[in-house]
Amino acid sequence: MAGSSMGDEDNPVAINVTPLIDVIFCLCVFFMCSFRFKQLEGKFDTWLPKDKGNKNTVIQSDMPKEVRIALFWDKVAGKTIRRMGDREVRSDEELQNLIRDAYRDLVLANHPDAPVTIDAQGAVPWNEVMKVVNMCKREKIEKIEFALGAPPPQ
Amino acid sequence: MKKRKKAVVEESVMCNLIAMVDIMFLLLLFFMLGADMGQRELAELVLPKADQVKPEDKKADVKDVYSTINVHHRYEEAGFTCAINKANGVCREPDHWRYAIRGREYTQADILPELQEAAAEAMETEIDPKAGQLLSRRKVLIRADLSAPFGDVNKLIELCGQAKLYKIEVAAAQPPPDEIGK
Repeated sequence: MAGSSMGDEDNPVAINVTPLIDVIFCLCVFFMCSFRFKQLEGKFDTWLPKDKGNKNTVIQSDMPKEVRIALFWDKVAGKTIRRMGDREVRSDEELQNLIRDAYRDLVLANHPDAPVTIDAQGAVPWNEVMKVVNMCKREKIEKIEFALGAPPPQ
Repeated sequence: MKKRKKAVVEESVMCNLIAMVDIMFLLLLFFMLGADMGQRELAELVLPKADQVKPEDKKADVKDVYSTINVHHRYEEAGFTCAINKANGVCREPDHWRYAIRGREYTQADILPELQEAAAEAMETEIDPKAGQLLSRRKVLIRADLSAPFGDVNKLIELCGQAKLYKIEVAAAQPPPDEIGK
């Protein structure tokens, strides 16, 4: 095709390429208009426990056996408030450090299987929950639980 | 004396289209290979970014029985518009969020039969000793928009559990290398 060095005199049967170009042009326009770059996606395994369903967890002992992060949706400001214990966490770095320290304490107290519970209100954007999941994964914490319906902050 | 006629040289002004055809073929190939025609793209949503996600393993995924559920905001259409979502805000109207499986939309009230049907298509052959019942081996990938309410995603996970689907995965976008760690 393109590399052909034959002249017109050598090629008595001329091929009309105009319809071919038309078709390719149409296809090009179609693909250009519908084109979207593939976004690289990944996934987190969040397999459900087989032996327990949804339950209301009440912590009764003095020593907490989980890392609990509460997320509240501030309707007026339109932003998420993050709390760990009584402390309001404002930056991602601070939350990352708090998760690391809390989990390390649990490991030292012989609770390496202690979960991180993300206790979020229903209105909290999924992005904020995934941020916390991502932070836990950075600390190699595999056991992450979701809880719904955190009470509003006092 | 007769004047000699000059020989007329016919010039060919035909444009050589072969190079153009070559380039167009290359462009066509690029767009065809680059286009993502996957069914999951039937829902327009923006995934949250997370640098710790496991990249997709398409070879392994082919062996598994998969369902993808998208959680997205209702699209703009005749008779429906949402000013907050249009302005890229966080819409918290419960009626504005939908689940979608293969382009078909569901609400919290009507998705359970669909999940049960999907689960029944790929049940394990043996009773799970931990659960004490037959579970589905189908994997469910939840692709939720970054501003989707957590309550809706949590409800979907709960419904999957009810339908005996326990292999749940949540999708996130891998950030570009220059954004990792920020």
